Order: sequence, then C-alpha cells, then structure tokens
Amino acid sequence: MSTKALRNLIAAVALLLTVTACGGGTGASGDKGGVLRIGTSNGIDSLNPFVGINQDDFAVWLHIYPSLLQYDTTKPGMPYKGSLAESWKFAPDHKTLTFALRKGATWSDGAALDANSAAWSLGIMHKFKDGAAAKWGINENIDTITATDPQTLVITFTKPTATTLYALGNTPILPKQVWEKAASGDGKGLKTFVNEPKGDQPMVSGGPFMLTKFVKDDLAMFKPNPNWYGAKPRIDGWGLQTFKNKDALVTALKANEIDAVGGVPVTALSALKSAGITIDEGEGLAMRDLIINSNPDKPKHRELLKADVRKAMEMAIDRKAIVETAWLGKATEGSTIIAPATASDGQKWHNDAIKPLPFDTTQANALLDQAGYAKGPDGVRVADGHKMSYEVIFADDESGEGDRAFQIIQSGFKEVGIALSQKKVDSSAAWDAVYCDDNCQYRDFDLAMWDWFPSADPDFMLAAMTCASWGDWNDTGYCSKEFDALQAQQKDSIDPAARKKIIDQMQQMVYDARPYIILTYDTRLDAWSPKWDGFIPSSQGFFNNFSTQTLEQVHVK
Amino acid sequence: MLKRLVFAVATVFVATTLNFFLFRVLPGDAIRNLARVPHASPQLQAELRKQFGLDKSPWEQYLLYLRQLLHGNLGISFADQKPVIDNVMQALVNTLPMVLVGTVLAIVIGIATGVIAAWWRGSWKGSVGTSTAIFFYAVPTQWLALVLLIAFAGVLPSHGMSDPYLLDDSWTAHTLDVGRHMLLPSLTLALTLYGEYALITRSAMLETLGEDYVLTARAKGLRPRVIVRRHALRNAMLPVTTLIALSLGYLVAGAILIETVFSWPGIGFAAYQAVIQRDYPMLQGTFLVLTVSVIFFNLLADLLYAWLDPRISE
Repeated sequence: MSTKALRNLIAAVALLLTVTACGGGTGASGDKGGVLRIGTSNGIDSLNPFVGINQDDFAVWLHIYPSLLQYDTTKPGMPYKGSLAESWKFAPDHKTLTFALRKGATWSDGAALDANSAAWSLGIMHKFKDGAAAKWGINENIDTITATDPQTLVITFTKPTATTLYALGNTPILPKQVWEKAASGDGKGLKTFVNEPKGDQPMVSGGPFMLTKFVKDDLAMFKPNPNWYGAKPRIDGWGLQTFKNKDALVTALKANEIDAVGGVPVTALSALKSAGITIDEGEGLAMRDLIINSNPDKPKHRELLKADVRKAMEMAIDRKAIVETAWLGKATEGSTIIAPATASDGQKWHNDAIKPLPFDTTQANALLDQAGYAKGPDGVRVADGHKMSYEVIFADDESGEGDRAFQIIQSGFKEVGIALSQKKVDSSAAWDAVYCDDNCQYRDFDLAMWDWFPSADPDFMLAAMTCASWGDWNDTGYCSKEFDALQAQQKDSIDPAARKKIIDQMQQMVYDARPYIILTYDTRLDAWSPKWDGFIPSSQGFFNNFSTQTLEQVHVK
Repeated sequence: MLKRLVFAVATVFVATTLNFFLFRVLPGDAIRNLARVPHASPQLQAELRKQFGLDKSPWEQYLLYLRQLLHGNLGISFADQKPVIDNVMQALVNTLPMVLVGTVLAIVIGIATGVIAAWWRGSWKGSVGTSTAIFFYAVPTQWLALVLLIAFAGVLPSHGMSDPYLLDDSWTAHTLDVGRHMLLPSLTLALTLYGEYALITRSAMLETLGEDYVLTARAKGLRPRVIVRRHALRNAMLPVTTLIALSLGYLVAGAILIETVFSWPGIGFAAYQAVIQRDYPMLQGTFLVLTVSVIFFNLLADLLYAWLDPRISE
C-alpha cells in the first residue's frame, strides 16, 4: 500500500468516527412520550403464537393481542383484572364462566373485536389443544365456548377447575380475519403461518400496540394501536432489541443506546449505578437448584436415594455463601419448589413455614457416619464398595453465578467426604443426560444443577413434579402417587385458601424427599435510564407476559 | 480441471452426508427443546416429531433430505417454521458486507505490515510490525471485541446493523448508519485476521528480498519503494494470493464470536443458534452453504495458483 493510500484510509476512518460522534440516541428526543428502547438478551424466536417459546414471545403477544384478563402486578397477590373482559362471573357450581366484554372494541383494521372474536380464537386453541395449540394449555375440562351476544362470552366445563382463569385469562385472542385460513382442516397451517408485518403494513393488532417491523435476532418495533380499547399509551412507540452478549447489553444501556433492560447481570450493578442508571430490584420467580436423581430404579449410586444422605447433602451446602459470593447478595436462600414471588388470583403460594437447613458440616458428617459410609484415605467416603464421587450435570445457561455456586457446593461436599466434578453441557444435552431416553428414563445420572423460571400460578411447577411429567418437564425422576393425588386435588380446589393448604403440603413433601435442594431464589433486577418514568415492576420484570401496564404508562420525565 | 471438479462435487456430497448424521448424533433433541413450554405434553412431543419427520428412521430422513436437496429445497427451520433458504440468505446478506470490509481491511493492513516488517527486518520498525501482528493473531477474538466495545461505548454503536430509531430515513443517512454499525465488528475482524497476512507477507518478502534480481535492482540504484513494489512484493504475492482465496471461502461462515458480541444477525450467529436449538434443517443449510463456498474457493485457489505460477501446471 502506498503512503498516500494509507493516509486516505486513515482519513476515511477519522471521518467515519466524526460522523459517529455527531450521531446519538433518539429514544427520549423531546416528543410527548418518546420512543422507549428496550434491550433484551432473550429475544423473539417466532412471532407465531403456535411456534414461539421464548419469554419475550409471550410478552410481545400480550402487547399486540387482546386477552380477556391480565394480572394486576401492582398488588402482592397478583389478582386478575379485566382487559377485554370488563367483568367475569362463575356460576355457583363453577361449571359455567361468563365474561362480560367491553362494548365497541375493534381490531386495528377496524373489524369488530367482541365475544365472537374471543369465542372463535379460544375455540381454535381448544380444538387443537392436543396438537398445534398444545402449549396454550386451554383447560382440558372445557365443554363449550359460546358468544351468546357480542358482549357475552360463556364457557362451560365438565368439572370445576382452580386454574381456569390462569389457563384462559391472558391467552392471546387472535384475529379471525388473519388466522381463519391457517386454522382450517387439521390446523397444521397454524404452525407454518408467517405472522409478521408485510411491507410497511403493521400486523393486525387488538392490544395496546401494533408490531410494525421485525428482524429476527435483531429487533422488533411497535407503535400504539389507535383502536386499543384500554388506556392510551403515553409513548410514541417502543422497540425491543436483542443482545446476545450481556456485556454489550450493559454497555449499550450505559452509553444511552437503549433506555431499559430487564434482568441485568449482578456483576454489572455497580457499573450501572455509577453511570446514574436507575436500578429496580424485587422478588423474582426464578430459582436455582441442585437435582438429586430420585428414580427409585436407578441402578448405580443408590445411596443417593437415602433420606439421610440427602439431608447431609443439604447441610453441606452453604447457601449464605452462595448468595453473598455467587450472587453478590442479589438472591435469597432457597427452600421449597414454589418461590416466594409466586402469586396469582390474589394469593401468594410459597410455604413460609419451610426453612432451609443451616450449613452444618459437623452434623452432615455425623449423618453420613451413621449411615456407615466411612471416609477413605483420600478423604472421600465409600458407599457400598464405591467412592462417593459424583458427576454433576451442569446446564451451561447456569454459567457465571452457577459456576461460583458449584465451587461453593463442591467445597462443602469435600468437607463431608463427597467428591463432585462438573460436567458442563448446553441445555439440550443436559436434558438428554438427565432423562436418558424412553428406554432408560432417569437411570443414568446422579446429580445436576439447573434452574426454573416458573409462571405466576404454582400449578405448572407442581405439575412438573408428577409422574405424568416424566419425559417432558420432570427433571428429577421424582414420582409419588400421593403427590399426584394432591396435585389433582389442588386443581379441583376452587377456594384459593383451601388450595393453598394442599399446595403447602405438596411443598413440604417435595422438600422432605429432596429431589431438589433449592439453592437460591433470584432477585429480579431491572435497569432503566433516569430520563424515563412510569415503570411498573412485576416478578417477571417490567416487560412481562402478566400485564401491559408498564408500556401503557411509561413516559419521558 | 475435470478431475478437480469431480473431486469438489464428491467432497460436497460427503460433507453433506456427514453434516446430516453428525448433528443427529449430538446429545440433545430438537423436539424436547421445542416442547419445553408450559403445558407441554407427550402428545405435543409426538405431534412435533411427526410434523418434522423425526418419527421416521434416520435413513428415511436422509433420503428425504437428499431428494429435497436435489430439488433445491433446504427444508423448513424447526425453530421458526420458515424456509431454511430464506433464513440462510437473509443471514448471509447481513454477514457478507461486514466480513468483506473486515477481510479487505485485514489484507491491506496485513500486506503493509508484512512489507514493513520485512524491509526493516532487524530494526525496531520491523520488530514492532512483527510483534504487533503476532499479538493480534494470538489475541482471543471475543476479548478483543469486548475491549473495543467498551473502549468505544457511546462513540460507536455496539450492537445490531442499524439504528431502528433513526429519524432521517434517507438512503444516505441509512448507509452512514450501517457504516457506523459495521465499523467495530469489521475492525475487530480485521485486527484478528491481519496478523496472518502480515506474517505470510513478511516471510515471502524476506525470501524474495534475498533473490539475485533484487540485488541487481539495488545495484542499479533503484529507489527502495520501486524495488519493493515492482520486484519483491509482486513475486512475494503468490502465497498471499492463495491465502486470500482460501480466506474468501470462510467469508460466508461469518464470524460467530464477533456476531455474538455485537449482536450482528449474520450467518455465523444463525449457525450458533441452530446448534443450541438443535435445528437440524438450519444446521444442514448453513453448513451446506459453508461447505460449498469453502470448496469453491479452494478450487479457485488451485486454479489461481496454477495461473500465477505456470510451473505448477507443468
């Protein structure tokens, strides 16, 4: 390269840098509400409600499609509140549910949004509940879904169910005029329908916003739906930008390239605070756990099935150190499979009476000595002729805080004569290692470290512990007929207080059996620019699939 | 030539077959991934398995895949149910400009550094050129990307291809915006790549600088710039040209780490996502495009080499 060419190149780069320096964010640019720029590390994998599975997918659908109800996240018990339905009423036998819908609601294209729309959409979800619409879990006890008039939706059930509102409430209502063709025949077209904006035309919406632009793995853009039946949003629009690297996400927030982030890493907190970013923290739904294989037929290392060994293992875990060191104080010590933040229908579901065992290696050593597992010359105990040395399957989405937690657990276990090694694999391979396959269900693993991001109602988490969940959600091999019977009871129990008693009992059962040792509950950490105001927190963060409150109210200060 | 072409086609076929079976023996299962949603049931898993043809035997799936491939159909992505060809092309269109700019920059800086290091070998200029090249060659890509990202925070955009909130929607504003977004990822790529070009150029230059015709040029009193440009560099370009042709084959692979750090929605990132999701059709599609491009540019490098140095053909 000649000197002249090199000079030209340097000049070009300098020019580009100058132009860049003159650019800048456009989020809060002095308009009446501004454009809120949200950064996410989750992202949208598909906008088709029959395909997408990411948390952000569900949140986006809630913001572009109407639902009968939403959660009121401003109240501790997260009661339901009306959305398209102004009110709802169960018949005394709880086998008929009547929704009174708003008058005059329309889709963004002007078509009527009424009980007929809801009946058609929920009918499709119900019709294909074992196929394309399986993930929406429309109540299996539904008998009929009828619009008796444009403002009245009546749903009848073969038997009453406690989770009826949870199953139906914020399920998106899809526009018939868009989806009718895809829903014909066997419903397979529902899964292949490309549900994205076409050209400059926003998608037909019935929620507070319309999706105007979507680039997979990059961004989605929204503007207010002028026909939205609820309170008019104060912002001019919002965008959801996907970051695949959390350091980049934090850097972008500090550099004013984005305005708000849900779920910032604990290690970024001090840097964000120094940059003047507002941090909001509260109870989160997520929890981290150590899984002990509970399949009674597991052929190897059967000492892990013994109650005292499990108890000793819990005593050898220093949860306080995990909270302080791994999570820098931004977590709480775990106990039961229902996180303290779990709340729905006005009820909090965590069993406060269950307390984790304190860290006590002396007591843990005593329990293992009593069990007859003496320490060998290398300090590792011997059980039934083999060393108590185990591999921990470690899902790599737990990396970072989870790695540090593992080291603390490993150190505690070493003190009681149990050796642990970490086998880090991605989530898909972790599930394979835990489940094995249909011919060797839960027989090949001993221990695993993973997490749960449950929903607002405890039903999902409890269902994951049942025998029927083997092969899909159950990742412990736990199976108890007594627990399954209680699960059926809690679903049938329509009185929240009575239901809570059953759920408390179920939490105690699982805690005592220890298929999981719940290590910590996450602290939810949201961050936003001090230029913005009006965020409504929830256990899932300000951008969630519980409520559209934040994006209706958020605005430039 | 014909022999080379036949070999290239056979290699594509073997690579396609390997790709098909390799991804399926990976631990993990696309269906179990997709079925891990609230209210999932064994029926959902069975439905998905049937829908994606995974209920058939591997051989049946393979024959089906080959038949589709012969019809130019790369299948449907498990993750978003869109045609793989559309996803791959979109990602490729995003990747190519960024990687192309980075590679060109790397070639230019690499050759310049290599020439300087060779000409001033033994002096501090040569040592600085060589050691800097080795440093950037050895540095982990994601570390360098993060350092640049943090260093230029607030000055240069740190993610994505463009600013979706740009008020000025003119072509010029959009182009400048994409240019600004491309700067950091392209610069990272250039810095991590240029060391290789610099070292190869230096080595080739040192060889040619020791040749008699260079000594003759010096004896004739030609200026150093003329000696380097007309005599030494031109003859030293043979291995560099081959390296460039080979590098072009990897252009379509994008730069997974760079695309991840800067959230650049390119093909490297799409391949990474497909691995995580066990999205077999997407994996097969991206690796097919990668395989074909590497083989094509290898073939091109072979032909170019023969053209540049006829002794090889002889």
